[in-house]
Amino acid sequence: MTQKSTILLGFGLHANAHGDDLDWRGFWNSLVGRLDGAAEFLTLEDRFADPGRDGLDAILLANWLAPRSRDIGIIAGAPLNFVEPFHVSTAIATLDYVSAGRAGLLIQRLDQHRSRDAGRAIGTLKGFPAVDPLSLDSDTLAATEVVRRLWDSWEDDAVIRDVASQRYVDGEKLHNIDYQSADFRVLGPSITPRPPQGQPLVAFGWTTEGDLALARAADVVFVPAGTGFAGVAAKLRGEGQGTRPKVIADLQVRPDVADVAELVAAAQTSVAQGAEGIRLILPALYRQIASVVDALVPALRADLLVAQPLGGDLRSRFGLPAARNRYAAAA
Amino acid sequence: MSKKQIILGAQFPGVNNFTVWSDPAAGSQIEFASFRHFAETVERGKFDFVFLAEGLRVREQKGRFHELDVVGRPNTLAILTALASITNHVGLIGTLTTTFNEPYPLARQLATLDILSGGRAGWNVVTSPGAFTGANFRRGDHLPFRERYERARDFLETARSIWQGGDFHIRSPHFDIAGRTGAGSLPQGAPVIAQAGDSDEGRELAASHADLIYSRHGTLEEGQAFYADVKQRLAKYGRSRDALKILPGANFVLGETLEDALEKQKAIRLQQVSPKNAIVFLEQVWNRDLTAYDPDGPLPEVDPDVAVEQLAQGRAARYDNRLETARAWRELAEREKLSIRELIIKVTGRKQFVGTPAQVAEEIDRYVQADAADGFVFAPHLTPGGFDEFVEKVVPILQERKVFRQDYAAPTLRGNLALPETWQPVAKAV
Repeated sequence: MTQKSTILLGFGLHANAHGDDLDWRGFWNSLVGRLDGAAEFLTLEDRFADPGRDGLDAILLANWLAPRSRDIGIIAGAPLNFVEPFHVSTAIATLDYVSAGRAGLLIQRLDQHRSRDAGRAIGTLKGFPAVDPLSLDSDTLAATEVVRRLWDSWEDDAVIRDVASQRYVDGEKLHNIDYQSADFRVLGPSITPRPPQGQPLVAFGWTTEGDLALARAADVVFVPAGTGFAGVAAKLRGEGQGTRPKVIADLQVRPDVADVAELVAAAQTSVAQGAEGIRLILPALYRQIASVVDALVPALRADLLVAQPLGGDLRSRFGLPAARNRYAAAA
Repeated sequence: MSKKQIILGAQFPGVNNFTVWSDPAAGSQIEFASFRHFAETVERGKFDFVFLAEGLRVREQKGRFHELDVVGRPNTLAILTALASITNHVGLIGTLTTTFNEPYPLARQLATLDILSGGRAGWNVVTSPGAFTGANFRRGDHLPFRERYERARDFLETARSIWQGGDFHIRSPHFDIAGRTGAGSLPQGAPVIAQAGDSDEGRELAASHADLIYSRHGTLEEGQAFYADVKQRLAKYGRSRDALKILPGANFVLGETLEDALEKQKAIRLQQVSPKNAIVFLEQVWNRDLTAYDPDGPLPEVDPDVAVEQLAQGRAARYDNRLETARAWRELAEREKLSIRELIIKVTGRKQFVGTPAQVAEEIDRYVQADAADGFVFAPHLTPGGFDEFVEKVVPILQERKVFRQDYAAPTLRGNLALPETWQPVAKAV
């Protein structure tokens, strides 16, 4: 096992990244043009209810970017505590259709401060969690489970178009999910047929030790590079057999200095500590993107065996198995 | 006096029996390629907008999933935003409920669509049946039936406050929310607002708040009566007669000759109303299991069951008085010697323009110039090629008649519809 394997490279963006650029369409169009082919994936964090900086809806932006890109995986964020899991599930499934299997969902568990803003923006509503950490955590888990079950609620061959029996769909292959959480219940099935990947990739950004349950529910976990990384990676690696999430190191690229050698060294350290990929975070994206794509990315490729983007569906690029449908009868 | 310009909307065929899936030319209802083909075709035909309906729960019949019709669709806002990415002019109107959305998230999503489309977003504002659809949502059946229009109006006014940008602080009967958006003002000021309810409340909501009304009035006379009624309601809100466009839903069938088109229409109606589907429609009125009846035989002699709850779930309830409807259908069937299937074909038809391209173009124009409509939202029976022939053959004739644009005149949907470019606060009724 000493053979060096290649690692994945992605970018962590948020859907308000256009900053002061008034031509939002021009900004995003040129950005996705730069990243498509240079990186394996991008994440689009949603700035839901961030006062004065809430920007665009991340999942919709992802659906706009998908038809104007070819290869890049698009992992769109949603603050599941404050939106309807049903709408999120169908919107990510749609992204998977539009992008031909390049879609992912970034589960956003907002911090206490952001959660209070988000709670004020939707109001106090039955079926939504109380704004305290325990309620928000357990609701995020429940909502993630609902999103995933809805993706499976149609079997792949549910649409039969059988003229002889006059049936378009085989009702036996649609399934209620009937999920009950502490705060809400969702019956299903989805209105959107099972997406191309079956289960679009589910990602989560690690912040504290309390995130273990959420990390287990994800396929991919982003963990900040640095002192704590090795411990978290080991903990996640110790989970279960074969179903452990992939661990990606988050690397901050400081806006003032662009020391390529230093960043490559930091990336190498993360890889040595078990990172299966690197996600670059650019705080001043607008000013940084050109130099990062033109200098840092080639350096990472040369020194770290960052692969050229692999193409194909996003799950397979992360080395995830084809998703089995939990409702389909065993073949 | 110059002639009225016709407005054309294109509904993507979807979840109902009008979409013929059994035809060899019928394509995918979910692959992006279908939506791309559809949107690119109607944009080539200079249509005003693409229109998507909504259904947030799989329809059921007698406690089982309804299997006979097309089912399955993408998320409305997501697919419209994807279409915004591959088109440049055509408007993008989605049907979105005020019952199972909240104002801040939905207003922000519509703002996103408006920004990313460069001002082509539209919202058909509807309400949803509480208990049935609510089973898929956090809040469940949260709204008393009588309050659904009140919430819709309140929702729309709240959304408009949010679209103005900056701080919002709403305290109203249905909402208590606050925040600050960063989107600034939208390309259109506000998305184009459509309304589809036909009740008195629905008409009033359209007159006070909407830019378009999507109606279902088939004949010229019915259309004129509806048109006159809705337009006269505008004055009390301080709005001009041009501020609200009236667009009935309609279908079309084209042929080489009128006879050819009528033959095609007959064949399409038989595909739309399959033998089993005829029984399902009849069950909606009779409210009984009628699977033992022969679709090609006479209507049941037994009366509708008015006691139990509806067998059909997830459809607009169209038959308020079952006994009366059954009596009228029996009379019609006896008079014209119709089988169950023939009767259903007859009574479930929508407004159809049938004939040669020239005849269809002339008839559309006649309805618009006679103030039965300002245009139509057409739903073809095939996905995704249902508009191919219409765009190739009917649109050029409308253009020659100088009642339809040669090219898009404005960058925004609001501009192409000749609506006020910026939204102005709606005055309260005086």
